[in-house]
Amino acid sequence: MEKPRGNYSYHELNAMLNLYDANGKIQFDKDKEAAREYFLEHVNMSTVFFHSLKERLDYLVEHEYYEPGFLETYSFEFIEELTKLAYSYKFRFESFLGAYKFYTSYALKTFDGARYLERFEDRVVMVALTLAEGVEETARMLVDEMITGRFQPATPTFLNCGKAQRGEFVSCFLLRTEDNMESIARAINSSLQLSKRGGGVALSLTNIRESGAPIKKIEGQSSGVIPVMKMLEDAFSYANQLGARQGAGAVYLNVHHPDIMKFLDTKRENADEKIRIKTLSLGVVVPDVTLELAKNNEDMYLFSPYDVEKVYGVPFSDISVTEKYQEMVDDARIKKTKIKARQLFETIAELQFESGYPYIVYEDTVNRENPIEGRINMSNLCSEILQVNTPTTYNADLSYDKVGKDISCNLGSLNIAMAMDSPDFGRTIEASIRALTAVSDLSDIDSVTSIKYGNEQSHAIGLGQMNLHGYLARERVHYGSEEGIDFTNIYFYTVLFHALKASNKIAIERGKTFGGFEKSKYATGEFFDKYVSQEWKPKTAKVAELFAKAGISVPDQTDWTQLKNSIMAHGIYNQNLQAVPPTGSISYINNSTSSIHPVASKIEIRKEGKLGRVYYPAPFLTNDNLEYYDDAYEIGPEKIIETYAAATQHVDQGLSLTLFFKDTATTRDVNKAQIQAWRAGIKTIYYVRIRQMALEGTEVGECVSCML
Amino acid sequence: MTATTATGITRPVNWNKLEDSMDLDVWNRLTSNFWLPEKVPMSNDIPSWATLTPAEQNLTRHVFTGLTMLDTIQGTVGAISLIPDALTAHEEAVYTNISFMESVHAKSYSSIFSTLCSTDEIEEAFRWAEENPYLQKKAEIILGYYRGDDPLKRKVASTLLESFLFYSGFYLPMYWSSRAKLTNTGDLIRLIIRDEAIHGYYIGYKFQKQMEMETQERRDELKAYTYDLLLELYENEIKYTADLYDPLGLTEDVKHFLHYNANKALMNLGFDPLFPKEVSEVSPAILSALSPNADENHDFFSGSGSSYVIGKHEATEDDDWDF
Repeated sequence: MEKPRGNYSYHELNAMLNLYDANGKIQFDKDKEAAREYFLEHVNMSTVFFHSLKERLDYLVEHEYYEPGFLETYSFEFIEELTKLAYSYKFRFESFLGAYKFYTSYALKTFDGARYLERFEDRVVMVALTLAEGVEETARMLVDEMITGRFQPATPTFLNCGKAQRGEFVSCFLLRTEDNMESIARAINSSLQLSKRGGGVALSLTNIRESGAPIKKIEGQSSGVIPVMKMLEDAFSYANQLGARQGAGAVYLNVHHPDIMKFLDTKRENADEKIRIKTLSLGVVVPDVTLELAKNNEDMYLFSPYDVEKVYGVPFSDISVTEKYQEMVDDARIKKTKIKARQLFETIAELQFESGYPYIVYEDTVNRENPIEGRINMSNLCSEILQVNTPTTYNADLSYDKVGKDISCNLGSLNIAMAMDSPDFGRTIEASIRALTAVSDLSDIDSVTSIKYGNEQSHAIGLGQMNLHGYLARERVHYGSEEGIDFTNIYFYTVLFHALKASNKIAIERGKTFGGFEKSKYATGEFFDKYVSQEWKPKTAKVAELFAKAGISVPDQTDWTQLKNSIMAHGIYNQNLQAVPPTGSISYINNSTSSIHPVASKIEIRKEGKLGRVYYPAPFLTNDNLEYYDDAYEIGPEKIIETYAAATQHVDQGLSLTLFFKDTATTRDVNKAQIQAWRAGIKTIYYVRIRQMALEGTEVGECVSCML
Repeated sequence: MTATTATGITRPVNWNKLEDSMDLDVWNRLTSNFWLPEKVPMSNDIPSWATLTPAEQNLTRHVFTGLTMLDTIQGTVGAISLIPDALTAHEEAVYTNISFMESVHAKSYSSIFSTLCSTDEIEEAFRWAEENPYLQKKAEIILGYYRGDDPLKRKVASTLLESFLFYSGFYLPMYWSSRAKLTNTGDLIRLIIRDEAIHGYYIGYKFQKQMEMETQERRDELKAYTYDLLLELYENEIKYTADLYDPLGLTEDVKHFLHYNANKALMNLGFDPLFPKEVSEVSPAILSALSPNADENHDFFSGSGSSYVIGKHEATEDDDWDF
């Protein structure tokens, strides 16, 4: 442990951010001081010094810290110029947590972990060089977009680019599981391989036959989905990404699967150790018919996936339960059980109180809004990836019979405040789309054939957004107000236009579209109906002014018609373009509020395995603009849902939407919010979070985060 | 008041008729805070545990053994001994909950041990607990009052235990947690602190209620007694702290923390603080780490956190499904 230079170490200075000063003011200066002390006490003392860039690069390549391959595609002079460019911005971390997080989790360290080999600028240069794939102009553009904080690649990309000892650049994987032992074993193997390489993995268990189902016609043999979950949980805790972060996994189950109640009970506070699931995340897939049944307070039938597959000849997850519900109820060949539909929703809400899980996917909404041919039956670890998949089949010797399409998605987010300040908004988005496309090009997951095949076909990417609340507060707009929602709508509308335009441009350059473009709603032009047939523009004067002030023109119907024609003629390169992730770590480095949520607290307490307790001030927050920083619990679920609904209509995949409740809420309030979200066209719900304040009289005095 | 009143009539506890609304508030809070140690993925701390020096590991084991001892006393003797003095039937119910949770706490330490230490190490630590004179003295003093016949003195002893004596032990996991070590253990301890904060507060509150019915003379006596007992415990606690923390040079910091919590215990009992502000200023990192609010932000990469609660069930009605 280093000795503090003054009275307090950086850790303590940072903690003072959570304690009021004598005048009842938040001590923002203490956090700045903490960041400064962190450099003086720790970073500067622990950084390896090199006399020149040449010496540095030679050393790092020779000692196998940096990958030589991609560096050789550039001249040394160019790398030197780019490094100078990066340093010329005089980048400074805005918060202690930003700096701390960068150095503990992202910067390249010596193999013994003792000293740093990179500063923030060096990391940005390495990421830019990797993603520009040898094109100097693109590298310059990416340095500019990243160092100004406008575009921030997701953790696996930002962490791994350029390093010789590294994981993959891709964040997120989704795997199907079919109703046979080969597929289940392959799912576990793939989960190990993918977590080792650094992503979160989600699996759909909907197709696996229920407990008590027959095996080889003998009744009562199958153990159902719970033992599979147990194996997966162990697999994820075994694999981690060079210790950089723990493996993490999620499992999805359709609510009409007979094991649904057992599945949910694994998260009970008092669940038996044998069935208790601690670290695996859970999600449920909810079709419209379930909500209809609950509305009428009817029973809902659960269908044996084994029988459904026998009757329809396709796995359970590939049929629409809403469409076939009555047919399956009437079909005597399908074994079924029933529960009360409302009981299911109440149980889901109870579990969300206790554990935050399950996530929810509104299956029919998702498929209605899906422009791509095929069916979406699951989501991922953060419930923002929504793509089509197809099953894989195996031979008796466990080799592949037919390789299906599984899903991977690489993510990166724009900082809305910085993007609005961009001198060229369209270019910022184009650069981001190109960077994300490069990640897809560079990804080659040999160990999981279905993922590799899916990526080659789809080049799917997910451009996300963060710092909505920070931006709105900076511009003195309340989150969830009419103006706040108006801004969200027009912002996402404009982003969609430029994202499609960029993907169209790449398709033209390469003369190639994603596989299956011709069967998509982009090719038929149907996707564009809502943009060419009506006018989209700011409804409020304030939002019109914000866009005018930023010099960003809002696309009109003529722009859309042109884009539509070009896309119908030349296609787009990426099957999917947008997905709004929850942005944990990267929003701290980037000085953003997470995703498009409201802040969880004015001063956020952040706890992560590697970090301990650290305090993070909301971006742009001062003692004078506190009124614009109502937190998510004060703002409440309704306004959050309205804000997300405004964004959702322009996003082809999903958005991680967390619902926040005070502890006075009941399961009924949670259910009401779920119904509101479904009606508003929300595609998925991520966590439910409950805030419990300390009982009056037991709180720690003078604590900022304790203040209601 | 026990279930059987002085007149010999036994009364069932009626939660629909409250004599003190605090009972229901605290009961609701305690039940919604219910948790079991299995909730926290302790094994994620194994890599972090391996980074501690042998001296640090030793200290950590001893600190947790000391805490196990206190929770054992509180669960099996302490909270139960308060039941006969309860003013309302509801208060009795709250004590039974407190007593049960104390046993959960005691068991939690065992789950920390079994995850991080070998059997030999665990046995050494329990032997240490039996042989450590300060820990034994601490137990002796508190047990003496629990077995005594003055109900108010029992409450004082109990509040001092809940709000003061535990904290020499709690310091260490908070210290580790603020330095990114043993963070899941830190979560578990924070759950315990969340409970103890309410226990100390509630027992102190009940003490104040009963004090209102006493004569001035008796009140003065109890006040003097409280300060005497606190000082007696404090003197022993300082030695205990030095014995534990001297090897790591943390004793001074822990003392400040003890002063802070001693003042807090006195506050819970309705008395003025004893230690001046300058010797009870706790390191900000520890103080912030203590906050019992469940408002930290975490995701699937962090531990389970201490923020989830058992929900209040309420059925939806037809109007809610109006679409």
